[in-house]
Amino acid sequence: MSLLANPMIQKELRQRLRERRAWVLPTLYILLLSSVVLFAYSESSATQHGANAQGAEIGLAIFASLVFSQVIVLLLMAPVFSAGGITIEKEQRTFASLLTTLLTPPEIWWGKFVSSLLYLVLLLFCSLPLLALSFAFGGVEPTEVLLATLYSILVLATVCAVGLFCSALFRRSVHSTASAYGLVLVLSIVTAVVYMYMEAHRLQIARSPGDVPNPAFVQAPLLLNPLYPFLSLMERGAINQFPYNVSSCLLYGAMLLLAAAFTMRLLKKSGEQV
Amino acid sequence: MIEVSDLRKSYKRVRGLDGFSLRVETGEIVGLVGPNGAGKTSLIKILATLLPSDSGTARIGDWDVRTNPAEVRATIGYLPDVAGIYQDLRIIEFLEFFADAYHLRPGKREEAIEQALRVSGLSERREEYVEHLSLGWKQRLQLAKTLIHGPKVLLLDEPASGLDPLARMAFREQLKKLRADGITILVSSHILADLEDVCSQVVFISEGKNVADPQGVVISEAPKMGTIRCVIEFQENSKAGELARSLAGVNVLEATTTLLRAEVEGGERGAAQLLRELLEAGAVVSHFDTKLNDLEERYVRTFQGVGGKATQ
Repeated sequence: MSLLANPMIQKELRQRLRERRAWVLPTLYILLLSSVVLFAYSESSATQHGANAQGAEIGLAIFASLVFSQVIVLLLMAPVFSAGGITIEKEQRTFASLLTTLLTPPEIWWGKFVSSLLYLVLLLFCSLPLLALSFAFGGVEPTEVLLATLYSILVLATVCAVGLFCSALFRRSVHSTASAYGLVLVLSIVTAVVYMYMEAHRLQIARSPGDVPNPAFVQAPLLLNPLYPFLSLMERGAINQFPYNVSSCLLYGAMLLLAAAFTMRLLKKSGEQV
Repeated sequence: MIEVSDLRKSYKRVRGLDGFSLRVETGEIVGLVGPNGAGKTSLIKILATLLPSDSGTARIGDWDVRTNPAEVRATIGYLPDVAGIYQDLRIIEFLEFFADAYHLRPGKREEAIEQALRVSGLSERREEYVEHLSLGWKQRLQLAKTLIHGPKVLLLDEPASGLDPLARMAFREQLKKLRADGITILVSSHILADLEDVCSQVVFISEGKNVADPQGVVISEAPKMGTIRCVIEFQENSKAGELARSLAGVNVLEATTTLLRAEVEGGERGAAQLLRELLEAGAVVSHFDTKLNDLEERYVRTFQGVGGKATQ
């Protein structure tokens, strides 16, 4: 069976796209990002005193605010789409029938994973025309847009995998969704707080920070932050203060694989939950 | 076709199965009867590869359920006690999903879906959403989905609960057709009249163990297909048993000087013929009944003997 011929994907997408939120969410999402673009444009134009405004800086401001906004919004949406993937089967009492088909745990996981991720990728692609606006002003390379999109997909894929893990672990969607949000919160906020605390502590000791990036051990907690690769991408100083974007991506890849492995293991043993 | 030997399964504080054994031959419909919590669902889940057993063996056909779960799943069709259904799919999409989930090849897939629609009587309604079906039609669709990959064994856990009488009758007829097609069926149910109508054997279970009824019979023979059971009581000593044994198409189950229990071929017409023969032979009949609910009687006798759990 090829990776995209998985019957779970077709079924999940059919069910998902028949919900009202299938068209309500993209509409709200685009409206929100459009307002972010407008706000970024007006703010960056205003700070450049009208006629002297540099197009490149406006383009960069639009790009940065759009990328961060969309990642934050999609990070908030990802648990909704993934953490109910398996619990909904348990709640609707369809899980037993599913487990006694010839679909293997990896096939079930893949179907649930792809369908939850595809919807988020659809939203991501919806915002590409807005992202392309930054080209009109300059200051942003197509490779940067591509990298931002790839980073977004990796981070969202990991959050989806973590959401599915929570979904396999718990019986009820409310518990799995709350747990997935908890994990996203830890990754986004707690790592940032720990990083800021460690950085403050280091500055206190060093007294003269200079223009060098923080050492790796100080940045270590931040590598788990879903925004780290984007910080690295947006860094425009002479020296990149966040140079470990590859490490961060590898960490996210590892988290994805671990979550997938644990979810499949749970699926194998989930007959007792039906 | 189904062979279970000394099967044990414990949960945290409860024992689900405690040395249960069972043997079901190919083409039989076997009923599993017992009070709530007796272990029926645990047994069916173990056979469906959903639960691992602690010890003992369970085989479906040539396959052990622990070591060959994929082969077992290809062999069985499982209908859980509370079978959920994808309400937001169309009927055709629902069947297509399960055909694909059982990895049916193109050609056979379409054929299986058409047959499932035909068998369930839903061909004309294929584009309707599942949520618009009544409970009885949903149960038909569930059974059609369970049969879509052509299983040799059906495991049905309380399949008729919640169905109205007409839907139950239709369901029973479907089971009889499946049996005629050579499918082996293990069905758990509390509706004893249904089991008596369709099963060739009934097995009693309580506290995870086989339960022998007071007569020492673990498996009670239900009427064979096309026969009817009757009980005849006599006012005075009679030799009706000897006479009945001499008649063609009459299988005497029990005969005393005042009671005759027999299985008669030809349905009610055959039973009427037996009664006529007995009256012509001079027997004084005080009671004649062709609607003996033997299973219900036996159930009450059996489970009153194990702490009255039948009434719990």
